[in-house]
Amino acid sequence: MPRADRVRPLAGLFALTLVGAALGSVSGAEPDAGTLLRESMQAPAKISYVGQLETVRFASNRANANIVKIEHLAPSSTRRWFVAPDSLYGDYIITRGPASYEFDPKHSVVTVSRNPVFADQVTADAIFDRAMTNYKCVETPSDSVAGRPTVSVVLMNKYTGERVVRVWLDRQTHLVLKREEYHANGAVASQMRFEELRYTSSLPEGIFATEAPAGYKQTKGRDYSMPTADIDKAIREAGFKPYTPKDLPQGFALVSGNATTIDGGVRTLHLVYSDGLRTLSLFENATGASPDFGTLRPRTVQFSGHDAQYVEDGPTTLLTWNEHGLHFALVGDLLRPELVEIAKSVVP
Amino acid sequence: MMEHLNNDFLIDYLHGQLPPEDDALAHAHLESCASCRGEYEAEAALGEALRSTARAEELEFPSMIAAEIWQQVRDARPSLASQLASLFRPAIAVPVAAVAVVALYFAAPLAQYAGTPAKHVSANYYLEEHAAQQAQNPLGERSPTAAQLIESSAADIGNAADLAAAADAPPLAMMAAADASR
Repeated sequence: MPRADRVRPLAGLFALTLVGAALGSVSGAEPDAGTLLRESMQAPAKISYVGQLETVRFASNRANANIVKIEHLAPSSTRRWFVAPDSLYGDYIITRGPASYEFDPKHSVVTVSRNPVFADQVTADAIFDRAMTNYKCVETPSDSVAGRPTVSVVLMNKYTGERVVRVWLDRQTHLVLKREEYHANGAVASQMRFEELRYTSSLPEGIFATEAPAGYKQTKGRDYSMPTADIDKAIREAGFKPYTPKDLPQGFALVSGNATTIDGGVRTLHLVYSDGLRTLSLFENATGASPDFGTLRPRTVQFSGHDAQYVEDGPTTLLTWNEHGLHFALVGDLLRPELVEIAKSVVP
Repeated sequence: MMEHLNNDFLIDYLHGQLPPEDDALAHAHLESCASCRGEYEAEAALGEALRSTARAEELEFPSMIAAEIWQQVRDARPSLASQLASLFRPAIAVPVAAVAVVALYFAAPLAQYAGTPAKHVSANYYLEEHAAQQAQNPLGERSPTAAQLIESSAADIGNAADLAAAADAPPLAMMAAADASR
């Protein structure tokens, strides 16, 4: 056999080995940004930790901050002690699955609330899939957070190119260590970050005890309703013909709704719109019930001949108005002009 | 992070419009913070300067002119009987009757609300319910705090209002805002 013929199979084998090695290195590389995000969703169910968490929500003219000491026992027990603001100092919340127990030592009260969405993994998965449809995940350079090396992922809206959320994931555990949400104008709307973090496997179950201490009064808090994907059923139960927005930001879709009776017999329909990252709520009632703003300070904005009222709660805006014999309330983490544009299309 | 009082908070403090708890906190902070005390004093000086200017420009209305104006008003006022009689002139009575008929026609659909007290829905209900649904987002902060902070803080501010709405309230929030602006 000529030498060249003997060398050719060897060269082919060598090339195959190189390709194999390259593929091996790909499969052994870090997962892509989307996979990292999906794993970050599962992280709290697998790892326990203690730390200090700071959350700041920015409004147009002020910021709200809260700082909590946090202890988390996988899969679903969490205790949060408030360090700030002053008005909540010393209060703590124990969350076990969908139930939350708010301990208020100043008034010796335990308030028990229930939010079923915390236990609804199926819906959470569906929302995540929707986010992956509407957003592009981009891995970006990152630094350390709470002394831990991180991987940073930016979620960019595929239609507008806007950066909407950025998360910093622990490079080892994929727990979300820092999260920033942005307004359409690029300003930071809210920020959450761990100031301290230590992983542990030795948290005693007893610190998540939910029994009211001696001398405490236990009261029932809110039982949040579980919206249904059966929108027609929710509308039938509302008992009136609702109006829905015709003009939503791209990617948003009606995902759920529910009809409930609140505050002295006001039958209210709640429709929930989402693009997977941002949520928009539209409330309607046909009883003429207007909003009681309490200590909130509403301002007036005019559109389509309506005097609407709005308040800003951190990054969240609430816009209310009356039209066609119905009262509407629109709530979302969107800027006021964006909400007004949506409101204009509710009853065109 | 430096903690300072923002301008709105200082002005409310200056005018005694803060709740007692915040008032005490502001007082304590001003005792220990030269920067904020400086701003407070500047604000107070500005208010005093404006009041002084206003007082200096205050003019007494000449008493003779005032008396003359009142006399003319009294002379021009018609008697009560003539005022009542004028209401029944056709030029007034016919349009008034027409407006009343039209108003009754359009107000009829609202009769269902008549006799029942006006209903209200707490704005916090909307904010809390929205926050509760938002917590479903797996890429959001899946904690109960967003919704429950609203209720938790209510006990301290004496109303079902949220932290932001404690109207400029939580000192930490104000201080953060002040830091951002400095």
